[in-house]
Amino acid sequence: MASNNKKIMGMDQDKFSMFLSKYGITLVLLVMIIIVAIIQPRFIAPANLLNILTQISVNCLLAFGMCLAITTGGIELTVGAQLALVSCILGALASKGGMNIVLACVIAVGVATLFGFINGFLISKFNMFPFVVTLSTQLITRSLAQIISNGQAIPMSIGNFPQVYSGYLGPIPLPIIYMLVVFVVMYILMHQTRFGRYVYAVGGNVNAAIASGVNVFWVRTACYTISGFLAGLAGIIITAKTTSGQSNIGIGYETDAVAACVLGGTSFAGGISTAPGVVIGAIMIGCIYTGMNFLRIGSYYQQLAKGLIIIGAIMLDMAVSKKNR
Amino acid sequence: MKKLVSLVLVLLLIAAIPAFAEGGDVNGDGKIVVGYIAKNLTDPFHAPINSTAQEVIDGLVADGTITEWTGILDGNTDGPRQCDLAQDCINQGCDYVIILPCEAVASAPGVKAMADAGIKVVVVNSKTENTDDLALCYCGSDDVFAGELMAKYVSEKCPDGGKYLHLQGVIGNSAQIQRGEGILNVIGADDKWECVADVPCDWAADKATNAAQDYLAQFGEELVAIIADNDDMSSAAQRYCNGQGRADMVCIGVDGNQGPLQMVKNGELGATVLQDGVGQIMAGINAIVADIKGEEVQKLYDVPFVLVTAENVDQYLQ
Repeated sequence: MASNNKKIMGMDQDKFSMFLSKYGITLVLLVMIIIVAIIQPRFIAPANLLNILTQISVNCLLAFGMCLAITTGGIELTVGAQLALVSCILGALASKGGMNIVLACVIAVGVATLFGFINGFLISKFNMFPFVVTLSTQLITRSLAQIISNGQAIPMSIGNFPQVYSGYLGPIPLPIIYMLVVFVVMYILMHQTRFGRYVYAVGGNVNAAIASGVNVFWVRTACYTISGFLAGLAGIIITAKTTSGQSNIGIGYETDAVAACVLGGTSFAGGISTAPGVVIGAIMIGCIYTGMNFLRIGSYYQQLAKGLIIIGAIMLDMAVSKKNR
Repeated sequence: MKKLVSLVLVLLLIAAIPAFAEGGDVNGDGKIVVGYIAKNLTDPFHAPINSTAQEVIDGLVADGTITEWTGILDGNTDGPRQCDLAQDCINQGCDYVIILPCEAVASAPGVKAMADAGIKVVVVNSKTENTDDLALCYCGSDDVFAGELMAKYVSEKCPDGGKYLHLQGVIGNSAQIQRGEGILNVIGADDKWECVADVPCDWAADKATNAAQDYLAQFGEELVAIIADNDDMSSAAQRYCNGQGRADMVCIGVDGNQGPLQMVKNGELGATVLQDGVGQIMAGINAIVADIKGEEVQKLYDVPFVLVTAENVDQYLQ
């Protein structure tokens, strides 16, 4: 490809575009943090930074699953309701039923994973629209949570279970550790394995993927199954956070997961995403929420700002995609 | 000379003590910071509570009673979100935090985290399960009593009993659970009454209208009352019934929002149960001011529910 000689900030235009597409959102995040820190120095206090990372852990896990779904050209709207289902299963089994908490966690995550598999199966086998399938299973999942809990909050202060969220490994809160572990696994899965390459192939050009011998059915199904598994893990974290099993948590959480993906450079056209981008996107969402509170910006304006930032990111994504195709 | 130096040192020391150290500066950072965690910004019942808080706490900053406040932090009717905001308040150096919990259980860890950090927590409108143990005070009303008040009104209006429909708020929400409990306390065991359905309407008027439509079509004249967990729903149901020639349907809900109150005034709605949200938040703010001044603060400020009918509606209609 012929290089464009026009220089921007000392870089060729092509290189500058590549730089922006790779690191643009990270730069925006850094600028945002610096601005807030200048106005409110407490914002970059270690305790607050750890607090932000702790708070985004649930969204980050959901966003990784969402990222896989979007990368294959789909979407996963069940994740918020899966949090509620997992928390109600834990409440019913461990708190009401007296089951061992570890076993209850395994069963709850298993159920969430099963719902992920069902989503993937329906989408891949019958070529149903992911939006419709996951919207329907969202309703089913939420309803099951209500049936299991009978609409009541089930207290979950069982032994050390709340420590799953509030515990520390040295000075680091445990949810950050979980996020880090999941990030490493997802990074390897998405960028270092054959499965990861298949995911991008299916999302980028499904016909080419089929022609290359990729089993599209299993790739798509596996992506939604992994998403269900991650939502299950996030469900355990949020249940430990609230020490409560209840059917009305997680409402609208899929929106933040989508926002984190989009901000992190995941393309709705499919085939484009990165694991570090998802983390950056989730951190950005956390910084928007917490930063605006620190800046004393009225809550009425926060949704507005969030919406504008996401639209801006999508426009950036479209502009970059257009250039790269 | 030594006496003079000592005197100057003592005066300097006194001058160095922050102005607020005598009361209110709980964390000793020289400022009095108040946090405010709202239940949400969308519910018509919470809108006047939030705007009153905005106005009154801005006034406390202006007159120097407090140094600053966080502004209204949106809990988004989500327990985990409120827990996150509690952490934000801790990191912003708040001395006092007013919280209007979404959930009795799921918002409780937020209250605990703040109390553990030494913040004086004022719980308003509904309790978390740990409010009695950890909060500076609770300013609110008894939702079970509200449910009982509604059921008693319906019993009085329909002494022969009959079939009734129950329109619920968001399932799992404390107010939804406790108001439902209050209704059952009064007519749950009464053979004269039969609940045809508990319909989750998520506090929303449009869903209440749909439910009224469905069950009126199904049960017709047998359906004599609709009891709703809030009065946005009860007024919407009543409006639909009136339009269908069933103005005799006894509809009642909780909150005392201006729309339903106007309907009571116009004779379109028999009654509503007023929850004095503004009174609750004022009690919470006054408790903080009292604590700053070193005055005694009670553990409980009970702001009672009031049955509003045509006879007393003028007192509450703005």
